[in-house]
Amino acid sequence: MSQDTIARLKENVIQGRKTKDDEGVDDSLSGTPGVLELTRLALEEKVSPDIIVNHGLTAGMQVVGDKFATKEYFIPDMLASAEAVGEATAILKPYLEASNSEIKGKFTIATVKGDIHDIGKNIVATLLRGAGYEVVDLGINVPTEKIVQMVRENKPDFLGLSALLTTTMLAMGEVVRELEASGLRDKVKVLIGGAAVSDEYAQEIGADAYCVDGFHAIKMVDTFQQRKL
Amino acid sequence: MLIIGENINASTRAVAEAITTRNQEFVTELAQAEVAAGADFIDVNVGAGSSSSQDEARAMKWLVAVVQQATDKPLVIDSDCPEVIRAALNKYQGKRLIINSVTAEPQRLEAVAPLAAEWGSGLVALAMGTGGIPNSVEQRLDACEWIMTQLTRLGIKPEQIYFDPLVLPVAVDSKQALVTLRTIEQIKSRYPGAKTVIGLSNISYGLPKRKLINRTFLVMAAYAGLDAVIINPLDAKAMSLIKAADMLIGKGSRGYTRAYRAGAIVD
Ligand code: B12
Repeated sequence: MSQDTIARLKENVIQGRKTKDDEGVDDSLSGTPGVLELTRLALEEKVSPDIIVNHGLTAGMQVVGDKFATKEYFIPDMLASAEAVGEATAILKPYLEASNSEIKGKFTIATVKGDIHDIGKNIVATLLRGAGYEVVDLGINVPTEKIVQMVRENKPDFLGLSALLTTTMLAMGEVVRELEASGLRDKVKVLIGGAAVSDEYAQEIGADAYCVDGFHAIKMVDTFQQRKL
Repeated sequence: MLIIGENINASTRAVAEAITTRNQEFVTELAQAEVAAGADFIDVNVGAGSSSSQDEARAMKWLVAVVQQATDKPLVIDSDCPEVIRAALNKYQGKRLIINSVTAEPQRLEAVAPLAAEWGSGLVALAMGTGGIPNSVEQRLDACEWIMTQLTRLGIKPEQIYFDPLVLPVAVDSKQALVTLRTIEQIKSRYPGAKTVIGLSNISYGLPKRKLINRTFLVMAAYAGLDAVIINPLDAKAMSLIKAADMLIGKGSRGYTRAYRAGAIVD
């Protein structure tokens, strides 16, 4: 039953159907519940929020990306899916942020210069808040200077950078170099993520870690914090 | 924009013949072609004048049954004769439909509008009265105002009404295209709940390359606020322009990408 809900959720993300009234990519799901209704249903069925995020929302977005790459989908289709996932994430927020009261550390996150993709970054921010980190979100298309200034003034334990384009991921390297030039590099752990980047790229630019998703990010920062103790 | 397929109309000789000879196959194929091309509603018209109203009513009943068998799409019952419309309604399956039409002519309105009230159907209202098609925007709006008052009195909601500002050949009077466009704008701002509809092809009457003129006018009407058009949906270029125009006036881009994937966009 709940497995079925997640499969349907993914299918509706692919169709870009936010609610039951949306048309979608074709008529095959007309009138049936959309992403928002299914997200609520999954919560009622007690599916854990991380399954909803990973197997429903993110898995669906992956397919959307593939269809965009093969020119089956166009930007309006991608945007419709993105909007649905963004609102579903807002519904999940209180569940992802749950419990934790003690602050485990300070995390600053940004989508780098030239890049406006923020769904993944927002999920990571939400999950880290839920895991007990104080998160400052600088938003999208954030200039390198602003990121460096933030690190200097706010002294976060972690800096998270998001980039989804092979062109904008280069800005991540720039951030790391500028941190070095400003003598701040050893004051902060730099984590990178997003569809464009990889472990290899993290090593290449001298970041501290690459994270596949938000849950991986939590494990990573928790480990870093424990090593500090 | 809502697409009303115009093809099943006895003003075309082949269709008139198919209706007279009760050629079910011909009508079925035409209806299905319209739907496949993207029609949201199918207009059915058995013509007028040539035969008695009983003959027309009988032809209309047959036509409604045949078209409803061919497709699930709702119909536009197109006749200026109340008995013919009533005959069609008695045969009609389902709830969604549009009646075409009333005017600001009291007799016709009193005979037809109550049917729309009773059925909760859409109703096309032509912006003209007993004196024929008015020349000016103001006079057409006067007709709309009178119609609006009468229809409201009969319990018809603005959402049910499709005002037709009427289209006259631009070849005859070069100001006429603008009169139609401005009337659309005014109707939309005066009665935000009501919809507008036009039959396109009159605009190009008497000119060469009529399709080009029709399509150009269609895009302009979309910008003026047109909600529905009675059109030949098999004109793929016009249908593509509607999708592009809907996107450009902020009705969303997905209709366009959907149509593209369905292979329905030609340039
Ligand atoms: C939605 C989307 C858009 C939306 C974005 C809306 C929004 N508010 O974000 C819109 C339509 C605006 C868009 C625009 C563009 N896009 Co786009 N987009 C996507 C798409 C389909 C999904 C991205 C997404 O939201 N995924 C879901 C989230 C949950 O996953 P995620 O972002 O990967 O994040 C997770 C992890 O990566 C990780 N993570 C991410 N960031 C971080 C950061 C840290 C610190 C950590 C720890 C972890 C982490 O955790 C997240 C949660 O699990 C991708 C396809 C794809 N496969 O990624 C293309 C894609 C990224 N876009 C692409 C392109 C080309 C574009 C455009 C250039 C299109 C154009 N021609 O204009 C523009 C560029 C705009 C710009 N300047 O940034 C390409 C990039 C190709 C490339 N190699 O560079 C992709 C890969 C599509 C494709 N296959 O071609 N896009």
